[in-house]
Amino acid sequence: MSVRRLIVIVIALGVWEAVRRFNLVGPLLLASPSEIVAALVKSWPDYLVALRFTVSEIVIALAFAWALGIGAGVVAGVRPFFGAVSGPLLSSLFAVPLITWYPLFMVWFGIGMASKIAYAVVSGFFPIAINTMNGVRGVDPHYFVFGRAIGCSRLQVVLRILLPMAMPSIASGLRIGTALVVIGVIVAEMLASLGGVGYQISYYQSVYQTGHVYLGILFALACALAANWGLSVIERRFTHWRELQIGER
Amino acid sequence: MAPAIPVVIEARGLGKIFSVERAPIVALQDISFAVPEGRFVSLVGPSGCGKSTLLQMLAGLVPSTTGEVLVDGAVVRRPIPEKISVMFQDATLLPWKRIAENIEFPLEIAGVPAAERHARAAGMLALVGLSEFAERYPHELSGGMRQRIAIARGLAPNPRILLMDEPFGALDEQTRIKMGHELLRIWAKTKKTIFFITHSLTEALFLSDIVLVMSHRPGRIVGVIDAALPRPRTYDIIGSAEFGAVRNRIWKLISQDDTEAGETGMASL
Ligand SMILES: Nc1ncnc2c1ncn2[C@@H]1O[C@H](COP(=O)(O)OP(=O)(O)OP(=O)(O)O)[C@@H](O)[C@H]1O
Ligand SMILES: [Mg+2]
Repeated sequence: MSVRRLIVIVIALGVWEAVRRFNLVGPLLLASPSEIVAALVKSWPDYLVALRFTVSEIVIALAFAWALGIGAGVVAGVRPFFGAVSGPLLSSLFAVPLITWYPLFMVWFGIGMASKIAYAVVSGFFPIAINTMNGVRGVDPHYFVFGRAIGCSRLQVVLRILLPMAMPSIASGLRIGTALVVIGVIVAEMLASLGGVGYQISYYQSVYQTGHVYLGILFALACALAANWGLSVIERRFTHWRELQIGER
Repeated sequence: MAPAIPVVIEARGLGKIFSVERAPIVALQDISFAVPEGRFVSLVGPSGCGKSTLLQMLAGLVPSTTGEVLVDGAVVRRPIPEKISVMFQDATLLPWKRIAENIEFPLEIAGVPAAERHARAAGMLALVGLSEFAERYPHELSGGMRQRIAIARGLAPNPRILLMDEPFGALDEQTRIKMGHELLRIWAKTKKTIFFITHSLTEALFLSDIVLVMSHRPGRIVGVIDAALPRPRTYDIIGSAEFGAVRNRIWKLISQDDTEAGETGMASL
């Protein structure tokens, strides 16, 4: 990090701290950096437990959303009939904000981890499935013919040819889907749960401890950044060839 | 056709009916021909007459409605990659694999051990004269080079038959002429049987021993032209009187058929 950037950050933190110290903004609206640090010092073991809870939910939900989304997207992409039937159905389901379904998730899966995971999987599933479907449909049909002509089984055609060909499109689906999974888990925790970063945020908000609320937000941000970083590592691994051929096609 | 040369691929009464929204379309009707070993056979015909469908039926990729395809006397029911390679207008290279890996890919699917794969890929690259591109990616090559790689990849499993569906159709004229020469050189060296679809009568005649002429709706073979021009062929031959005469014959066959089809309002050339 350059010295300049460091100076900017220090000044920003200073201004932020000053705004609170001189009470320009009320304590319910804004916590100063020192208050957030104080919250961390006081409650870090609680937050660590919450973070473990949230991260496990995110990891499990991501595994399901990725696998189900890519699987369904491939089937819909390869079988035009399935795609034609499911396409309009998916978009009409999308017309209602997913969050309105959350009470039902609670009824079906209880107040524990399962309902958070299920809700997050459904949030992340659609963009992954739709992008995968479009990616697979965009592959020149001659690639299917080529694959079968050299003796590939159906599964080999999908795994060795179609999925890698569709990878740029799948990757952008994963990008959106992953963000939605992280958001889904934390929002669901905030609405009703027994633990997790989202739970911390809504709990401390209800007892007017703004420093703790901001600390929770920072943890949520860290989850989102970590998921994004992990994704970009995987993405680079699989689509490096795409960057090489920018300007082609 | 000398009777002594064995037939490698044979179509017997092939027909294909597609049903589109319950309405049957007779795409191909009663197609019969035999290709002797090592011959270069071209197929010409108006757009949409069923050439690609026929090629895919020969390769065992599309089932026929009537009739059958025989390769080495055995009925073809599924792709036989060890005997038949297929090529298209697009090289269909895998963009994330290096050129050598692309050539090895069909061998990998066939379960050939790595050491032999590398050796064969190197041999094929030398054959098409692109050895120095082994470690490059497909997008770093020109269209003509990519088609040469597709030829190398098709030849790597050492098939007996090469089925080519307008392989040079997307290339500019100069590259296309060069590729024709290149294909003849490779063909002479490897002695494969080639079945070659093209829209260009000149290309068909320049390359082939035999030109099959197809008609439209339903697709039928309306002429088998013996293109017995001397080999090796050079570009000059295209200007010769003999060449022009045979090309006119093919053209008459196609356009005559077109006037017959005129009542359906089809103008396809
Ligand atoms: N899967 C299919 N379902 C329905 N009709 C089809 C199908 N495949 C091909 N056809 C029809 O069969 C006919 C022959 O198609 P084909 O692609 O074999 O023609 P072609 O001679 O290769 O054309 P071109 O010269 O343009 O490549 C066309 O009328 C096409 O619309
Ligand atoms: Mg065609």
